[in-house]
Amino acid sequence: MSAIVQVKNLTKTYGKTDAVKDVSFKLEENKIYGLLGRNGAGKTTIMHMLTAQQFPSGGEIEVFGEAPFENESVLRRVCFIKESQKYPATFSVKDVLEVSAMLHPNWDAAYAKELTEAFNLPMKRRMQKLSRGMLSAVGVVVGLASRAPLTIFDEPYLGLDAVARGMFYDRLLEDYAEHPRTVILSTHLIDEVSRMLEHVLLIDQGKLMLDEDAERLTGKAYSVVGAAARIDAFASGKQVLSRDSMGSIASATILGEIGAQDRREAAERGLEFAPVSLQQLIVHLTNGKNGEKEAVAL
Amino acid sequence: MNTVANGRMKAVTSTILKDKWSWFLLPWIISGSSFVVNLIISFFVEDKIKTGGVASLYIYMFVAGIISVSNTLPFLLGFSVKRSDYFWGTGRAIGLIGIICAAGLTLLSVVESDWIRGWGSELYFFHLPYYSEGSIPVQFLNYFLVIVFLFYAGFLIACIGKRFGKNGLFAFFLVSIALGTVMSYVMTYQGWWIDLGDWLADRTMLELAGATAPLTLLCMAFSYAMLRRTSA
Repeated sequence: MSAIVQVKNLTKTYGKTDAVKDVSFKLEENKIYGLLGRNGAGKTTIMHMLTAQQFPSGGEIEVFGEAPFENESVLRRVCFIKESQKYPATFSVKDVLEVSAMLHPNWDAAYAKELTEAFNLPMKRRMQKLSRGMLSAVGVVVGLASRAPLTIFDEPYLGLDAVARGMFYDRLLEDYAEHPRTVILSTHLIDEVSRMLEHVLLIDQGKLMLDEDAERLTGKAYSVVGAAARIDAFASGKQVLSRDSMGSIASATILGEIGAQDRREAAERGLEFAPVSLQQLIVHLTNGKNGEKEAVAL
Repeated sequence: MNTVANGRMKAVTSTILKDKWSWFLLPWIISGSSFVVNLIISFFVEDKIKTGGVASLYIYMFVAGIISVSNTLPFLLGFSVKRSDYFWGTGRAIGLIGIICAAGLTLLSVVESDWIRGWGSELYFFHLPYYSEGSIPVQFLNYFLVIVFLFYAGFLIACIGKRFGKNGLFAFFLVSIALGTVMSYVMTYQGWWIDLGDWLADRTMLELAGATAPLTLLCMAFSYAMLRRTSA
């Protein structure tokens, strides 16, 4: 496995605010990455810098081993589908697909046609007259049919209904299996995509909070449910991410792996363990007060 | 510069030329409607009419240069196109459009002056004194150079706007106006306006149109410098 994206100390400053602060990570070939974080966390800025559409204030970016700025050998291997993508005023769906075909060497026209039909896209309609969901669907079609070695989806499902979103996820997994490539999915609908993600990068307030294998990540915290008083006793001395109670029953989400002693203790107290979903974990990690967040080191 | 047009540059050219309405029809509809109005008037007027209505086509090209950038640049940068490919791909498109417009204007000038003199009602719209002087190739070259110059003047303004935002564009115009005012004051003070007028009167259309070429190159160079640092 070789790193196809390497980011070192990436920083982007707008005036006095840091949109991205000292972010470093590597992406390996043929994996599906989740770039997660709240709106305004800096995800889109990072993706814009990866594709040389915005300029870093500091740090280094290498994509396919080279700097992406004005670099054709990099840019032709990249497809970035963003929510804010603009189209020429007169462009129809067909025009977008035709230009995409010219820009992406691996473009599969037959697959693009099949996808436009699956998403019920009217080929002749102008982009400006499409609904938000249809606009997103065009992005999905381009992103999938381009088969770019690095495909980036930034909030690709805005306005898509559950059926269309499900179709996007299924198609992506299907095509990914046949044509492996590196995919970055940037989203805040974490639960929906969590089954696809192999690796998670979590950005919060411009900082990289997490860079972890998805499976290992969900094993890094757990929930424990039981009588409120016993939960408190169990949780004391542990790093509690959140605690909820309903009547006499409480649950606590605890950071850390379940050790043998924890199992024994829980059994003694009549407590039950429950897995934490990726979404829960991320929400916990990004919800806390600033000071606490620094302390959370996984 | 990559002189051989690569596929991605072609995608830029094709993106621009897909808007056939704006590039191949609208310039003629605009100048054509001015022509029709003048033609109708010319039937009611005894005198010979010489009108500068064809200027509308040139003004359109200037405006098109401004609009083209915001219409295509964000789209193409978003689709991983290099800024230099955007620049040269646009150049190819405008070169082609310039050739078509100049050829059309030359043809109409010849029709008006030689084939159907004054459209049968003494209207001179496409063949004007001074502006249309010279042989057919010279006329073609003149029209082409002025069209391309105006496009790139508009293109530069749009690129400044993209690079430095609204405030940057505002500052640019403010400085330009200030410089223009100072220059104009100096010229008045030194009595240079008359000299300039005399000098211009001595120049042929070819000399004036030819003088736009270095200005066009300057606009292109500055636009390119702006584009290099423009974010999507």
